[in-house]
Amino acid sequence: MVGALGSEVVVAAPATGAMQLLWLIPALPLAVAGVNLFAGRKLGKGAGWLAVLAVLSSFGLAVASVLQLASLPGDARLFIQHGFDWFAVGNFTVAVDLRLDTLSATMILVVTGIGLLIHLYAVGYMEGDPRYGRFFAYLNLFVFFMLMLVLAENYLLLYLGWEGVGLCSYLLIGFWFEKTENANAAKKAFVTTRIGDTAMLIGLALIVAKFGTLDYAAVFGAAGSVLTKGTATTIALLLFAGAVGKSAQIPLHVWLPDAMAGPTPVSALIHAATMVTAGVYLVIRSSVIFEISGTALVVVTVIGLATLLFAGLCAIGQDDIKRVLAYSTISQLGYMFVAAGLRAYTAALFMLVAHAFYKALMFLGAGSVMHGMHEETDMKKMGGLIRRMPVTGWTFVIGALALAGLPPLAGFFAKDQILEIANQTGRQWVYVLGTLGAIISALYIGRLIFLTFFGRARTEEAEHAHESPWVMTIPLLALSLGAAFLGVLVQRSPEGPFSIWAESAVGTPPAGEFGLPVAALSTIAAAISVLTLAATWAIYASGRIDWMALRVRLAPIQRLFANGWYVDDYYSTILVAPGKAAAAFTASVVDAKIIDGAMNGIGVGTRRLASVGRKLQTGYVRTYAAAIFLGGVGILVYLGFRI
Amino acid sequence: MPLDNVVFWVFAPISVASAIAMLVMRNAVHAALFLIVNFFTIAVMYLLLDAPFLFAVQIIVYAGAIMVLFLFVIMLLGVDRGDDVRERLWGQRWIAGALALAFVLEVGFAVRAAIGLSTRVPGGFDRVNAAGNTQALAKVLFRDYFFPFEVTSVLLIIAAIAAMVLAQRKARAITQAEMDAASAPAGSPAGSPAPEVPA
Amino acid sequence: MRTPIAYFLILSSILFALGTVGVLIRRNALLIFMSVELQLNAVNLTLIAFSRMHNDLNGQVLAFFSMVVAAAEVVVGLAIIVSVYRRRQTVDVDAARDLRW
Repeated sequence: MVGALGSEVVVAAPATGAMQLLWLIPALPLAVAGVNLFAGRKLGKGAGWLAVLAVLSSFGLAVASVLQLASLPGDARLFIQHGFDWFAVGNFTVAVDLRLDTLSATMILVVTGIGLLIHLYAVGYMEGDPRYGRFFAYLNLFVFFMLMLVLAENYLLLYLGWEGVGLCSYLLIGFWFEKTENANAAKKAFVTTRIGDTAMLIGLALIVAKFGTLDYAAVFGAAGSVLTKGTATTIALLLFAGAVGKSAQIPLHVWLPDAMAGPTPVSALIHAATMVTAGVYLVIRSSVIFEISGTALVVVTVIGLATLLFAGLCAIGQDDIKRVLAYSTISQLGYMFVAAGLRAYTAALFMLVAHAFYKALMFLGAGSVMHGMHEETDMKKMGGLIRRMPVTGWTFVIGALALAGLPPLAGFFAKDQILEIANQTGRQWVYVLGTLGAIISALYIGRLIFLTFFGRARTEEAEHAHESPWVMTIPLLALSLGAAFLGVLVQRSPEGPFSIWAESAVGTPPAGEFGLPVAALSTIAAAISVLTLAATWAIYASGRIDWMALRVRLAPIQRLFANGWYVDDYYSTILVAPGKAAAAFTASVVDAKIIDGAMNGIGVGTRRLASVGRKLQTGYVRTYAAAIFLGGVGILVYLGFRI
Repeated sequence: MPLDNVVFWVFAPISVASAIAMLVMRNAVHAALFLIVNFFTIAVMYLLLDAPFLFAVQIIVYAGAIMVLFLFVIMLLGVDRGDDVRERLWGQRWIAGALALAFVLEVGFAVRAAIGLSTRVPGGFDRVNAAGNTQALAKVLFRDYFFPFEVTSVLLIIAAIAAMVLAQRKARAITQAEMDAASAPAGSPAGSPAPEVPA
Repeated sequence: MRTPIAYFLILSSILFALGTVGVLIRRNALLIFMSVELQLNAVNLTLIAFSRMHNDLNGQVLAFFSMVVAAAEVVVGLAIIVSVYRRRQTVDVDAARDLRW
């Protein structure tokens, strides 16, 4: 059996154990989704708890399977479960097979674990919504597709999950479709990711053309011998295009800020913890192909860095609490791609997990804030909420500090290790820009917490904000524990237990001897985060600087950031407007005049022909007699000529 | 000159002329009479063609029965006054004339191609008419064509019955007004038209 | 017989054509009917001419039957014309033009 990266690996197929039930992990949420779709209204509140139960069972099974996987020796941690043969076209066959290696094991734990907490939160958040049952059906359906995506053993099954999560994202963003802007945001998300998905599909077609199959084992095993550098670059870039769309990197990032129109649990689950990380997963999974083509890795790093800085700057200028977090997600995903581009897959994976914790935490916290502020999202109208919503506030602060990279929270270890690898393998420009990105991250998140939670309440609503019910605060507490202690527990260094765990699937991170020693780098990182946070406190919460006046003076820059560097406007003029014009032209000219004209023309023509033809029926018997006689003579003439 | 030639060349023009006359006569009775003349000439043609029985039948049935019937109806309905000369349909006369001419020419060519314009048939129908035309005809009719003969007699009966049914005057339904008028004093000036009895 | 048989055939075709012209031109139903009778007679003449030509009595039998059926047809046809006249007070065929465009 061949594992990832083409190394020879012995697979121990267990005869019994939790791993045999691997297929149940995606199947349970799918089944419950079906139940909730059809019987959701009858179940009422039970629909939500049923959904929670489904994800809880999946999580339990996932934990059991992973524990069993962990009990296997280090280089034998791979299990492939054959489901059934899907279809075959000539020599090309596709089967539904599930793959459990350490990479997919990590992903399923993240998806089901954080998914469970978010489902629990949603039970409280969505209470009273008229389409309660359907919401949970969509949510469970999403979990199913995401699990299929990460458990797939071939690219087609991954693509199934890929498209499925896109569909669920559309359904959930536009869940409150009565407001047009929500429906538009859903459409925008779907169409933008579609561009990436199409490129990815072409990449898959190329893989089929080159390898004759889409199975990971076959592709990764034969990649070294089949692919030339050019082909590998093409395939890798096409797959990366899909990742760019799904993970909202430049230039396909425009959908994510608008996707905040969906309910907050959706933003937390889909647009922070799981769906947007599918792109990172894809790159890590396809690392064999990316490494054959060195160019692709450079492209990944460059785009990751550009996105990191671009989105970070945008986040500084946002007033809407959810939009700050959205741009922050885009920016942090850029970090993960930088790590992947440096071949530091374990670091990218750990950042993925840590980010899932603290970003989901912050989104849920934002939802809690909105709940207490009567759906208000403008930070200018908040302030001092930490006294009125202590649980929400302090858990949010933990998440924010983790993002800012304050030791010993999880984010510090994640970011520090990426920058460390950059520095020590000689890519100093990556290190410098990455550090700049860290400063910007600390800036926007510090601004967020100090504006929202500290200082004096700036409006009446902020004065009277209240804490949220336990279904919403318990998940916050659980997530904050993860955000706080994950790093310390499993990944204190690039060679920590997490790396060792992940290596069997993704290989070892590159080691280097250049640059500064590890201790110095860590100190620099920590110092940066502390200083930046202090600066933001000084500006926004200490009351010593009039940040409103500062904002007015820097108005053009602030507006540039707030409007996302006007990228949306450029797209609108260059792409959307011509598209709409073409559509209008097609509808009013081609369809209405030409096609309808042709159809109507047939009718009109027939009628004209008929009105001429009917003059034959004069009503006079003698005319008819003449016609008969004419026919008779005609026949005679014809016969005469024949003779 | 052979007698049959003479006869033919005398009666053929009469035949055509009487046909044309029938066509152009305004008065229907005159037209019918000319048609009778035409039938007589055709009967003579039959005689020339060695069909004496049919010569007799033609005169008896066609000229004697059918045309008489026609005359009865013409005079019964009183439609002997002519219809007006103006032709309402555009080009009808031209079409009719052209087609008729085409027809005649066509048949002429066909005949010329088939049997030639001057073929004479051998004299005498003698072998067939051995015992006389009527007897020979009877033999064929009652032997080979017996079934059609019977059917034709049924047909004639049906035709007679049909004519009686079609020409019957139906009794008009008596209206209420007429009933009142009938039971009113007899001196009413309007009078009550008596329902017509079936003829 | 010295007359070429073709002459009879041509005579009959002339009579037939005249009969058809009569059908097309006259407006009185009775006159149209009489023209039809003329046509029938022309055909009978053809039949008998061919019968003579082929020395076969079948043509004469056919002509005989034709006459019988023509008689029956005239009976029915006149009955119809009478009945139509009773309804519409006219025998002008041009009057019956309701079934038109």
